[in-house]
Amino acid sequence: MGLPLFSAQDDPGPDFYRFAKSTGLSAPQATESIDLPHATTVIAVRYIGGVVMVGDRQATGHYIASRDIRKIEAADRFTAIAISGSAARGIEFIKLAQLSFEHYEKMTDTSLSLEGKANYLSPIIQNNNLTTPLTVMPLLAGWDTSHKIGRIFEFDGAGGCYERSDFATIGSGSPFAESALRLGFRSDLDLEAALELGALALYEAGDNDPSTGGPDFVRGLFPMMVIINEDGFQEVAVDAVAARFKTINDRRTNSGGIAGGTLR
Amino acid sequence: MSNYFYVNPEQLTKDRAEFAQKGIARGRSIVAAIYETGVVMVAENPSASLNKISEVYDRLAFAGVGKYNEFDRLKEAGIRWADGTGYTYSREDVDARALANYFAQYLGQVFSEGQKPLEVEVLVAQLGNNIRPTKLYRVGYEGTITDEPLFAVLGGDAETIKGRFAASESELKPLSQTLKDCVSAISGPERTIPVSDLEACILEDRGARRTFIRLNDEQVSELLG
Repeated sequence: MGLPLFSAQDDPGPDFYRFAKSTGLSAPQATESIDLPHATTVIAVRYIGGVVMVGDRQATGHYIASRDIRKIEAADRFTAIAISGSAARGIEFIKLAQLSFEHYEKMTDTSLSLEGKANYLSPIIQNNNLTTPLTVMPLLAGWDTSHKIGRIFEFDGAGGCYERSDFATIGSGSPFAESALRLGFRSDLDLEAALELGALALYEAGDNDPSTGGPDFVRGLFPMMVIINEDGFQEVAVDAVAARFKTINDRRTNSGGIAGGTLR
Repeated sequence: MSNYFYVNPEQLTKDRAEFAQKGIARGRSIVAAIYETGVVMVAENPSASLNKISEVYDRLAFAGVGKYNEFDRLKEAGIRWADGTGYTYSREDVDARALANYFAQYLGQVFSEGQKPLEVEVLVAQLGNNIRPTKLYRVGYEGTITDEPLFAVLGGDAETIKGRFAASESELKPLSQTLKDCVSAISGPERTIPVSDLEACILEDRGARRTFIRLNDEQVSELLG
């Protein structure tokens, strides 16, 4: 690539997506349906000091394509972005979102607001989902540094952006995760309660949805758990995640495997 | 019938160089120096929002002197080039030398073919790691590129500042000492620049991917002691 200089009229400004499109950097679009691996369940739960996110690690096609992909990434210090749907497009989408936010920051010397980031992604999702069968359904959550609260934004297939005041789920396991969250959510959850509820909801999704990978005790692979609060994006240590899922799994075993046996 | 007048290329080049130098000399200078664990860049800049030093990429920074709109456009092109290159290949493929070369080619082209030369001088600084060295590339208004070993000075008063700085700098020092040397080289013996008129940025490893830090007034005063 040569030096990308623009005249004042054609300048794409601090918008990396527009720049990438104008210079042909972004991928061409597929028009035919092809069966490719898709990434599954991610949930986000608001608690009093921020947002907790939990995501499984499996990419599934006709069979398991990967057991250890990361579906939640830090888009910047205070923002997390998660994906479901086409794994290929999703991972590219995360990369594009991360880069776009950083690009904006470097070009203007200011960070985009959290709402600005959510709105920025809408037309990109719309453009992808309405022109290709490689649907991607992201979830954006973060700590709003100007309003000092944790916020969650979910998107529909056409790119519509909706803010959720409680929790959000994406991916094929979401009916099961959503049911668990609906029963357990309260508006005054503290961090520990939110982590516990999130882990439980993901466990249920992994238990009932064949595409969602639950805790894998054989390989020592566990869902990702992330906290975003005033200290920024932090990933919960693998040992702590493993212990949490082990407890839930033991409860299910001790109850004779009945549904609801994970609760106590 | 078109009118073609013969212009002596030597005279033309001289005139253009003089024009660019005059423009650059109107602005204040910038000093960049390598210290023990990073790179520091210091500019005299009374504006807190119209920056002369900017982050370009994970380990790359840009500094420009001369006409603001001209070097700011180069800065934007540099950020776009770096982000585009990292997006296409890998983040570790973004290299200061490649970017400095593009700036050099562009400035050289405008100098010889444009309506008027650009009245700017720019610097591309790179913080080294295990695959690339720490580097300071200075690119002049006519496209000459120089690889400065320990420190670089940009701007009209470059030779004087360079002399003052060279006297103090022969080996790598800690940040606070290097920053002091930079500031006294810019200000000279008779003048003190208030901290609020200094723009100071560093590239330093903090365990994160991005290494660029813009130092605020308190941090600068503390380092200057």
